[in-house]
Amino acid sequence: MSTAPPLAGAFDALRPRILQRLLDMRATLDPSMARLDDGAAHEQIDAVLDHLANFIATGDQGLHRAFLHTFLAIRAAEGQGPAAVLAMLVAIGDTAAQVAQESGAGTIEGAELTLLLTRVTASTARSVNDLIAEELDDRNMQWRELAARSGETRH
Amino acid sequence: MLRVAGTSNVGKVRTTNEDALVLEPQRGLYAVLDGMGGANAGDVASATARAAIIEFVAAHGDDMPPKQLVEQAIQHGCAAVHRAAQERTEHNGMGTTCVACLLVDAQHAIVAHVGDSRAYLHRNGRLQILTRDHTIVEELVDRGMLSPDEAERHPYKNVLSRNLGARVDTRVDLLELELKAGDRVMLCSDGLYGYASAEAIQYQLGSDDDPEHVANDLVELALRGGGGDNVSVIVIEAPPAAPSSTQLVRTSGAIGWWQHRQKFMQAARDGGLARNPIVRGLDPDEALELIALNLCEAIFHDLEKSTGVNVWTFAQNLAGGWFERGGGWTALREMVDILANASRVVVDAIRAADGELGFLLDVAVGRALVVAELALGGLLAERLRTMDADLIALQTAMQEADSRGEGPTAEDERDAGIDTGSRFIEQPTVPFLRADRPATVPGTSPEVLDAITKTLTIARARTAPRAELVREVLTALDAIAPDGGPEGLSTATTAARELYGVRPVDEAGIMPLFDALDQARIITTSSVHQIGVPDALRAKTLRAISVGHQRLVTAITTIVLESVAPISERLREVAADTSTLRDEVAAAERRRAELERKHAESIDHSLPWERRGTTEW
Repeated sequence: MSTAPPLAGAFDALRPRILQRLLDMRATLDPSMARLDDGAAHEQIDAVLDHLANFIATGDQGLHRAFLHTFLAIRAAEGQGPAAVLAMLVAIGDTAAQVAQESGAGTIEGAELTLLLTRVTASTARSVNDLIAEELDDRNMQWRELAARSGETRH
Repeated sequence: MLRVAGTSNVGKVRTTNEDALVLEPQRGLYAVLDGMGGANAGDVASATARAAIIEFVAAHGDDMPPKQLVEQAIQHGCAAVHRAAQERTEHNGMGTTCVACLLVDAQHAIVAHVGDSRAYLHRNGRLQILTRDHTIVEELVDRGMLSPDEAERHPYKNVLSRNLGARVDTRVDLLELELKAGDRVMLCSDGLYGYASAEAIQYQLGSDDDPEHVANDLVELALRGGGGDNVSVIVIEAPPAAPSSTQLVRTSGAIGWWQHRQKFMQAARDGGLARNPIVRGLDPDEALELIALNLCEAIFHDLEKSTGVNVWTFAQNLAGGWFERGGGWTALREMVDILANASRVVVDAIRAADGELGFLLDVAVGRALVVAELALGGLLAERLRTMDADLIALQTAMQEADSRGEGPTAEDERDAGIDTGSRFIEQPTVPFLRADRPATVPGTSPEVLDAITKTLTIARARTAPRAELVREVLTALDAIAPDGGPEGLSTATTAARELYGVRPVDEAGIMPLFDALDQARIITTSSVHQIGVPDALRAKTLRAISVGHQRLVTAITTIVLESVAPISERLREVAADTSTLRDEVAAAERRRAELERKHAESIDHSLPWERRGTTEW
C-alpha cells in the first residue's frame, strides 16, 4: 500500500483531537481500558497513534506488521483475544478517519487524509487477519505432529 | 457561508443615537455598544470604546487566543473610555455597555459582555438568552436579597453594576458558543428588548428572511413598541444545514452503487473470481451471482441503512461455509481481494462522474470492506481458540499416556513423520451465502425436512440453558424453515409476533431479541455441519434455515417499525400543535405591540419619565 508522507503532518495536527475522542470512548474500544486511569489509557492509545503516524509517514508494511505482531502478543499476554484486539485497532482507525472527515470537511487535504486513514485501517485489519491465520497454521502443524505421535501411541 | 447584518436607530424619543456597532467581517468581530452619560457623552463613550476595540483586535488578532483577544479588546475599550472621561469635565461619568461576538470559525464563537446589552441564540425555533444583565438589581437577585418579581418592579432595575468607563478596568463575562447549522445569534441594546417582547423577537428571528431583513424588522418591532430608546441589532446567521454526508451516502450513494452492479460483476469476473477455490465446481455465472452479486447487494443495503450488518453476515457466511469445508485463509484472502478490487472499479467510476459523492462512497465502501475483514478475523480467532483447546486436550491425553508408560519411543516418533498433505478438501464448495436468496426448488423434500429437524435439535442442545430467547428463536425457525414458499412468510410473521411479545422489556429494549437472532444464526450454521448427510443436502438445509432466519428477522423488523409508528405520528402532531400555538402567541404579541405603539403615540413627553407609563423594563 502506498501512503502519502505529506499527509503525515495533517495527521499529527489532528492527533490531539483523535486522542481525546478515543479517550472519551475508551470503554467501548476495550472494556479493560475503562478501568484504567486517564494517564494509563492515554499512554496505551497514544502508542497506537504513534505507530499510525509512523506508518503514514513511511508506508513501511514490514514495520506495520511487526508492530501488530508485538501488539497482538502483548494483548494476548494480558488475556485479550485476537478478535478483540482487531476490533480495537479497527475502532481506533475508524475514529481517526471520522475525526479527519469532520475536521477537514470540504477540503482536499481532509478528504485525502480520511481516505488514507480508511485504507490504513483496512490494511491493519488485513495484516492482523494474516497474523491470526499464520498462527492458526502453526497450531495446525503442531496438532498434526501431536496427533501423529498420539496415533503411534494407540497402536 | 456565515451571513451577518446590523442596524441601529435613534428611536422615537431620543434625539441622538448613543449606540454604536462594530461590524468587522475580516476579523469576525461584531459588537453592540450602548453609551450613557449626560451632555451627549453617551455617544462619545460608545464611539471611543468601539474605536479602541477595533484597534486592539487589528493589532493582536493574529497573535492572541480568541477568548483572550476579545476580553482584552473590551478591557482596552474600557480603559480608553475611562481615560477620555477623565480628560474632559463634560465627559465625567460617561460609560458604555458592550456585547460582542467573535467568530473563531464557522462552528465556534466567543460571546463577551459588560452591562445590559444582550446576546440571544435562536436555535431550532427556540430563543435563548446567552447573557445576564449586569445591573444592581440582578446582582441583588443573585444574592437572594430580592425576588425576581421585586426586581421587576424595582426603581433601580436599569442601573448598571458594570460598564466600560466607570473604572479603568472591568470584569468581562465570556461564553464559548458552539454554532450549529441554521443558528442565529443576535446582539442588541436594551432599546430592542425593552420595547419588544421575547416572543415577538423569537418570531422574527425564526423567519426565513435574510439577516438584513430580520435586523430591520426587529428594529421596526421596537419602534412599534414605543421606540423610547436607541435601538441596535446585529444578526449573525450560521450556514444552514446541507444534506449530511451520511444522508448523501444513504440516498444517492446507495443508488449509484447499485446502478453499477454489472460493472462490479464484470470487474470481479475479470479479477478471476470464478477460478477461486471457494467456488470450484460451480458454473462461472453462478459463482459470480453467488459471491459478487450477494456482496454488491449487501453493500447496497448497508449503505442505504448506514449499518454493516449485511456485509458482516455475507463475510461470515462466506468464510463460515469455506472453513467448515476445511478451506484455509489463502483462498478467502484472494477472494476478498478480488471483491475489493471490483469495488475500487465501481468507486472510481462514480468518482469520475461526481467527485464529492465518489469520495464519500470511497470511504463508506472502504469501511464496509473493513467490516468484512472484522467478520473474517472473528472467525479466524474463533478457530484459533478451538485449535488451542484441541491442542491442550491432545497434549494432556498424551501426557497421561506417557505417565502410564504407553508413550511412543524416539524411533516411533521418527517413523511417524508429519502429515503435510493438502489441508483443503478438494471438492466443489457452495458457500453458505445470504439467506434472502429464494429457495430454488419449490417445496421441501422429506430429506431436507429431516435434516432441518436434526440441525435444530443439535442447535437447541448446544444452546446455553439460560438463553431462553435463543431457544424461542430456534423454535420459531423450526416452524418457518420447512416452508420456503410464500406461506412461510405468514408463519414467519406469526412467529415474529410471538417473539416480540415474549421479549424481555428492560432497559436494553429490543436489542436482546436481535442478539438472540444472531446467536441462533451462528449456532444453526455450525450445527448443520454436525449432521451426517451428503454435502448437497447439507447445502439445501443451510439454505432453508437461512431463508427462514432472514424471514424471521424481516418480520420482526417490520413489527418493530410498526410499533414505533404511532409514537412517531403523535410526535409529529404535537410538533404541529406547538407550531400553531407559537404562531398564535406571535400574533397576540404583534397585536400587543400595535396597542403599545398606539399608547406610545399618546404619551405626553412633557411628563417626567416615571409618570409616562411606558413599557420599558
